[in-house]
Amino acid sequence: MPEPLDTQRLTWMLTQMLRIREFEERVKRTFEEHPGVIRGHTHLADGAEASIVGALAALRPDDHVLTTYRCHGYPLALGTDPNAMMAEIYGRSDGLCGGYGGSMHLTDTARGFLGTSGIVGQGIPHAVGAAYAAQISGRGQVVLSFFGDGASKQGAFHESLNIASLWKLPVVFVMENNNYNVVTRTEQEDANAAAGEPLAVKATAYSMPGTTVDGGDPVAVYETVGAAVDRARSGEGPTLVESLVYRLSAHGNIIAPPGIPLHFPEHEAITVFGNAEEYEAAKRGDPVPRFRGRLVSDGTISAEEADAIAEQVQAEMQGAVDFGLKSPFPAPEAAVNFVYA
Amino acid sequence: MWRIRAFEERVGELTRANEVHGLVHLSIGGEGVAVGVCGALRDDDVVYSGHRAHGHAIAKGAPPAAVLAELMGREGGLCHGLGGSMHLVDVEHGFFGATGVVGGNVPLALGSALAARLAGGDNVAVVFFGDGAVQGGIFVESVNIAALWALPVILVCENNGFAEFTPRSAHTTVERVSDVVAPYPIERLTVDGGDVRAVRVAFSQFLDAARAGGGPMLLECLTHRFGGHYEGDAQQYRERLAADEWRRVDPIARLGIADHGVELEARDEIDEAERVARASPFPDASLMERLVYAP
Amino acid sequence: MAHELPYIAAIEEAIREEMERDPTVLYFGQNIATHENDPFLKQFGADRVRVTPISETAEIGMAVGAAFAGYRPVVELYMAEFMLVAMDQVVNEAPRFHYMSGGQVKVPIVLKAGYGFTAGWAGQHTGSIYGMFMGVPGLKVAVPSTADDAKGLMTAAIRDDNPVVYFHHYLLTLEHGDVTDGEHVVPLGQAAVRREGGDVTIVAIGWLVGKALAAAEELAAAGIEAEVIDPRTLAPLDTETILRSVEKTGRLVVVDQSTRHGSAAAVIAAEVASEGFGSLKAPVKLVTALDATIPYSEPMEGYLLPDETKIAAAVREAVAEAVSA
Repeated sequence: MPEPLDTQRLTWMLTQMLRIREFEERVKRTFEEHPGVIRGHTHLADGAEASIVGALAALRPDDHVLTTYRCHGYPLALGTDPNAMMAEIYGRSDGLCGGYGGSMHLTDTARGFLGTSGIVGQGIPHAVGAAYAAQISGRGQVVLSFFGDGASKQGAFHESLNIASLWKLPVVFVMENNNYNVVTRTEQEDANAAAGEPLAVKATAYSMPGTTVDGGDPVAVYETVGAAVDRARSGEGPTLVESLVYRLSAHGNIIAPPGIPLHFPEHEAITVFGNAEEYEAAKRGDPVPRFRGRLVSDGTISAEEADAIAEQVQAEMQGAVDFGLKSPFPAPEAAVNFVYA
Repeated sequence: MWRIRAFEERVGELTRANEVHGLVHLSIGGEGVAVGVCGALRDDDVVYSGHRAHGHAIAKGAPPAAVLAELMGREGGLCHGLGGSMHLVDVEHGFFGATGVVGGNVPLALGSALAARLAGGDNVAVVFFGDGAVQGGIFVESVNIAALWALPVILVCENNGFAEFTPRSAHTTVERVSDVVAPYPIERLTVDGGDVRAVRVAFSQFLDAARAGGGPMLLECLTHRFGGHYEGDAQQYRERLAADEWRRVDPIARLGIADHGVELEARDEIDEAERVARASPFPDASLMERLVYAP
Repeated sequence: MAHELPYIAAIEEAIREEMERDPTVLYFGQNIATHENDPFLKQFGADRVRVTPISETAEIGMAVGAAFAGYRPVVELYMAEFMLVAMDQVVNEAPRFHYMSGGQVKVPIVLKAGYGFTAGWAGQHTGSIYGMFMGVPGLKVAVPSTADDAKGLMTAAIRDDNPVVYFHHYLLTLEHGDVTDGEHVVPLGQAAVRREGGDVTIVAIGWLVGKALAAAEELAAAGIEAEVIDPRTLAPLDTETILRSVEKTGRLVVVDQSTRHGSAAAVIAAEVASEGFGSLKAPVKLVTALDATIPYSEPMEGYLLPDETKIAAAVREAVAEAVSA
């Protein structure tokens, strides 16, 4: 069983959730306040903070994490410098990857965040490879593989879970099920969802435990993922954890050719399915203020402390925006660096 | 079943004599599944197979002479010598093909099933594949969609416990293929593939349901692959069955029909098929250029 | 010093010697190491040598992930076409990460696959598709034509910190050759001049190097001295060596088992036309497979493919023609 969370850890978790929320808000606001600065397609993790932080709270510093294009939240919680992250999203030379990757490909190997693919499902086999490496390196490392519900229909998901189970690899598969794949609802594309079943049932095809958890409750996620991490670390093999989350922003900013200002549209629940009530209910259940409220009401921290953290976080992320805006662009000829190692 | 057995034995001889060249996979031991399944189908039902396809093709109605001519690279072959053993196609009899890509035809069967559903008929699609294909991503992508759209496709897995040269245990923790699809809303059944009657009964149930608008289904047939993965495979990785053990798994022996007439007739038919195949000339090279694109 | 080995054994020797030298080298794929007497398994153990299910996307993806974590996997893929199932991992994942991460990660993997098995393996198992992997930034492509180079290029591929697609020709599998003892590296990106001559440059790839040499002997009897170049690596391509040769001979014939527009020959011809036009006394000749799926039937199969006769004929044309100044 994972260690119970003490005040310090709970406070850390709230802080990380606030940091992720504030960072993502600043990314979104950049589209309005500094048009043209963010190019391409960016995907935000607002709504998933509890799931991200709860899962990462179960890790040791030398564990590894791999995820998808919706990748801003994880490195923040792992300790990556938000200045470098924002500069990367702004395409600057001080960016985490020198401006080479952008929003979808954040990498911070020093913090175990090994490399992010933007192709749905294709990072899952990468995580399995890192878990294979962890197994034979013998240092007891575990790998967390994050992906969305859409990825569970990719062949890569099937092949990876089969092998991870067969070789008893130290990996935990965390499927963040936000019920949407861009403009498609999960029950439109998944036979299990269409039958009203949780997606965790897919685990039964791979001889591994599958479990569903409320991704809006960071403590519940911590306990569930923590148990799976313990299982993996002790050599018993992988687990599939389905974490139910609600994405509070649209899938990503609009896709448009140069010349048309980019922005974040409303959530697809409203724009495609006309279901404003679903969205409003999700906002009412927003995990970040919910967790803050819980910690304050059960006396873990005071309202003042919570406010102070929030203020600090706002200053931190404002600093990230300022840093990013001031950071120079890479020289054009730098484009031919790093083709080959 | 004897037609297939006699055919495959002849192909084995011709391969060893270098008259059939390239990569050949024989289905000796699989006759019960081929006949149990294909014998229940109509010409307008669509069948796909994998690389071990001779038996399926013949059971679906492809003339042995045309199949053999194809294996011998002749003009009179099903595909005029262009395809060979792993690429047999006989559209007239609804055999839409073998493939060399493991699991590669499973999505194609979904397409045929979808077409059948859209056209409003009661024909169905069937696809054969081995246990090795089930671990491939293409398989589960297909199962999800087939289940989601309730397509009239019957997935027939011949589980002979080996994928090429490795036993199933090297591929997955899940012994039964039907357990791999267990999470999905798909009808599934496991039968003894060496018992042609049992195969026919189980398959017919699925077939009737699919014709009536149901689907998809998975029929797992436990079989024994008598030979190697391909002709020439020395099979150092498994123990050969003793003759009496083979008789106990051989679908022909298990049917228990003592009449030699069936066998003799089959062998005569295959002798004639060989004569016809040999009489067919090699194709003209210009054929290739004409067939690269459809006109 | 050298010892005689068949091509396929030379490749295995390279893998084994590198695994001995470097404990981070792994070897996995379908149908390997399945019995306890397998030599690789016995020597290196079940951590470093594993059999996988038929799951190319996962196999290659795993190689990428293990490389992120500091290992150097060699993936046994058997046939070039099997990589097509996992094209994303080969083309859109493995070669991208070093760049997209701004140099933080390296992906030192080797994807070993056989190709060109034009012996009745028919339409889906016989292609020479290396052209698909050229021009992918960050991806290297090796095509050895001799047992010695097979060993040397595999060693280089394993030591290279980039993803390398290593194509070995199936028809060369049992070709014996003298193989250098011990540590032997043939640098990637370096062509070899197999035969010197002053009248025409023949660049040939893989198995066709032998056919080109045979054609050269036949042509020598007719007084035409051909210089035969074996690129050995297709990406990065040693255009320097080819251009130097064309400068000397003025004529170029490129021989490639791929289909015309998917061939390395087309790339080589474009490079010479662009960078070495002044040297050319005749148009570049391409001897490639005809544009059709490889048919099963033997006479048709042979019709499609380059052979000594076609090579010699192309040389004769190149020698007879002249570019008007």
